[in-house]
Amino acid sequence: MENPDQPFGQGRAGAVLLLLLLVLLGAAVGVIAALLGLGFVSLIRWLNDLLAISPRARMLFQPGEWLPAVTIAVPAIGGLVVGLLHLWIPGGRPHTPADVIAAVQTRRGRLPARAGVLTACSSLVSLGSGASVGQYGPLVHIGATLGSLVARALRAGRSADNIAIAAGVAAVIATAFNAPLAGIVFAHEVVLRHYALRAFAPVAAAGIVGHVLADVVFDRDALFHVAETGVPQVWEFGAFLLIGALGALVAGAYMHAILGVGRISERLPVPAPLQPAIAGALLGLTALWVPDILGIGEETLRLATIDGAFGPWELALVLVLKLMATALCLGMGFSGGVFSPALVVGTLFGALCGTVIGGLTDAQGATLAVYAVCGMVAVTAPVIGAPLTSLLIVFELTGNYVLAMAALASIALANPVGAQMFGRSLFDIQLKQSGLDLSSGRSRAMLEGMRVLPYLSRACVRLRPEISLREAVTTMSHADHGEAYLVDDHQRYRGTVTLARLAAAAEDGAAAESAVDYVDPGRPVLPQTASVWEAMGELQHFAGEAIAVVEDRRSQRFLGVIYESALTRAYLDKTEELRREEYGSG
Amino acid sequence: MGIARPWWRLVAPALSLVFVGVSSMAVADDAPVLRVLSWGGAYERAQREAWFDPFTEATGVEVRVDEYSGGVDVLREVADRGQPPWDLIDFTMSDAMAACDQGLLERLSPAILEAAPDGTPPRRDFLDGALGDCAIAHTVFATVVAYDRTAFPGRRPTSIDALFDTERFPGERALQRSPSANLEWALLSYNVPRQELYGLLSTERGLRLALRRLDSLGDSIRWWEEAETPARLLADGEVVMASGYNGRFFDMMANEGAPIEILWDAQIREFETWAVPRGARNPGLAREFIGFATATERLVAFARHLPYGPARRSGAEQVTTHEPSGIDMRLHVPSHPFNAERAVRKDEAWYASVHDRINERFMAWLEQRDSQ
Repeated sequence: MENPDQPFGQGRAGAVLLLLLLVLLGAAVGVIAALLGLGFVSLIRWLNDLLAISPRARMLFQPGEWLPAVTIAVPAIGGLVVGLLHLWIPGGRPHTPADVIAAVQTRRGRLPARAGVLTACSSLVSLGSGASVGQYGPLVHIGATLGSLVARALRAGRSADNIAIAAGVAAVIATAFNAPLAGIVFAHEVVLRHYALRAFAPVAAAGIVGHVLADVVFDRDALFHVAETGVPQVWEFGAFLLIGALGALVAGAYMHAILGVGRISERLPVPAPLQPAIAGALLGLTALWVPDILGIGEETLRLATIDGAFGPWELALVLVLKLMATALCLGMGFSGGVFSPALVVGTLFGALCGTVIGGLTDAQGATLAVYAVCGMVAVTAPVIGAPLTSLLIVFELTGNYVLAMAALASIALANPVGAQMFGRSLFDIQLKQSGLDLSSGRSRAMLEGMRVLPYLSRACVRLRPEISLREAVTTMSHADHGEAYLVDDHQRYRGTVTLARLAAAAEDGAAAESAVDYVDPGRPVLPQTASVWEAMGELQHFAGEAIAVVEDRRSQRFLGVIYESALTRAYLDKTEELRREEYGSG
Repeated sequence: MGIARPWWRLVAPALSLVFVGVSSMAVADDAPVLRVLSWGGAYERAQREAWFDPFTEATGVEVRVDEYSGGVDVLREVADRGQPPWDLIDFTMSDAMAACDQGLLERLSPAILEAAPDGTPPRRDFLDGALGDCAIAHTVFATVVAYDRTAFPGRRPTSIDALFDTERFPGERALQRSPSANLEWALLSYNVPRQELYGLLSTERGLRLALRRLDSLGDSIRWWEEAETPARLLADGEVVMASGYNGRFFDMMANEGAPIEILWDAQIREFETWAVPRGARNPGLAREFIGFATATERLVAFARHLPYGPARRSGAEQVTTHEPSGIDMRLHVPSHPFNAERAVRKDEAWYASVHDRINERFMAWLEQRDSQ
């Protein structure tokens, strides 16, 4: 395949041909991703039935007296398998949608196949053995990895790679939810974070293919259903807004519980491969009393929308336990997503709000499902940073306009409140903690992801610190440089001197003094690990030719300099790259 | 098992065993007789017309039928005493699976079955799930709710919710004294998607919700146990709605002109099967009969008497009219597209495994309800 980052063909005909090729790429990725997604979901269900995780399988389990032991053993053994699998993944951790977002946003692209396959396997074991984790995160990663692989096989450029990744994501979401619009919007809203026309067509093709395969060819039911609901009264929309704001707080608690347990697990005196097994055993033990917390929790999700299935205290208890179980599983190393458990937590939260409001007012029990759905989107939308996707999922799965409007009321406040208080999404918080801040936009993130080392120049004047001003001025003048860098016999950087300052001092009768006494005090110095963004920040604070670069701040070993012109060129190149991807026609 | 059963249910198998023993003594040893346990009433009449008499005509083997009301208990109790008095039992698929799991049935190979008229092998011609380890399905029947057309002037029940809506549809309802179908309908009345039904019934919460919905009917329930009863109660105007087997209601409509209408919403479809008890006196004869009676033409002949769909694809296409009245039977079989749109496929494996526990729970609920 032609590299889309390079000019292709001539004029409009070439651009149209390229667009058609991209649509074909999107559709091809969509077919494979959708089939993989369907297979993945079917395997989870099969494992849940086989390992006595699903309520039906638990009911049918024989001999019944062994069920408690199996309930504890299955997640524990599953955790052990997961822990061992992670030893084979570079970095020792499963990959998540955050890795996909990072790859696309920084245009580093190229999701590694090995990590993708092993993550899919460990997610399958996690979900199959009943860990309280989600299935959509792994599905997103599978679709994205596949898209990246196909793009790589076709020798596509980075822009096409990103589009292929987004196409894979759109296809699996469209397939899993039976919601093609949500899949297409999710790929744009969360992964690409732009709505370029060039990306829209292939991503839409992938979403449509996913939907056709799920709905028409395989006649699969959506993984999540919302039945008919009552019609809320006008004043209840105020309650839905409030649920949105409060739901953002629940989402924050959920995200920080996951991150908090992750931090604690790093300090535990237990080898990392054994940690998921401990989490699994604890989960199984708790599930003996509250089986609702096991697995994806589809039944809990459904029951929470029915008036009278839970008492208010039960709702609160299961909500807290599900939140803690998810934090425990994900924080201690199980592999999986955050969306499905957030659906359950959110639905329980919404149902709790509905029950309390119903007890205080004349709200009908029939609208409890509306409250449950509002709580669901109020928690999930801030967690995944996708308000539009969450709204579309509700609308596509129910076809219920009233329900979609109620959900919109909650989302309207949930995402802004969540973003202000915690961050755009759990993925963005995780990326920020690992050094990639997407809160200021994509160009900054990309420049933060670029190291200065490739732009390092050794074409500069080096002087010994003790050199006299006279000699220094002569050397710099002959070299036609306005700046020089003092480097001692141990190759340590001692400072920067400017020709103007040295010449002025020599004029004033200090020609015999050492140059080291006349270094420019405001000069920054960068370690070799510094990013281009960091270097550009330093450029704002002084007027000069270049910034010295050292091996690290402790050794101060001089490596060379970064010229302002090189940084400006890097910035312009990246900006142009982004412009071509987001607005270009090919 | 700890299942609360009235005393006559306990002694009935023993009495039937004595009866069969006495009746079999009257038969000469060398005269071949096939002893069948079936459901009686209109159903047995249709079986005799379509299967038993033609079999006797073809082979000279007399077919004698005892009647029962379903369940595995009847076989379990005679199996404890020795040789079962029947060569063949007409079981629902879930009962057959439970009996098979308990080692009460002979295994059956599809090799005993006939190919379709066009030569399609049985494995491909029988509907998915129709061939069990110990049971061969012959028909698809449905447990449905039917109502008295004259009971609600200006209104017609259109969904299963109506069964529990005593305000809009007042009057008594005849329901089977069994958890089967009642639990499904109760949970469906909460707008639960059909595909999640058995997953939810497997949870304590789901079960509680279903029983709570049944509780809401209060004194409007009249319990039935014999398959003939609900259609009779409806026809006599003693109840306004009744659960039952679609064939029985059809029989009452077609042959007696009763003002009965079937509510097809949430019909619970299940296979009816033939099974051979372990230790049966004539297992070879039983297998021969199964092969004969499940041939496509025999199943189509049965559907001319009662609207139970053939369990074979080749038969489903050949259903025609009701023999006595000329009514188009295709509109009355559970698998017709108009009727099947919102059907529930009974989870036979679920019932086979948990029947006793669910039954125990249901009976405990009944006792508690009756004591209030």
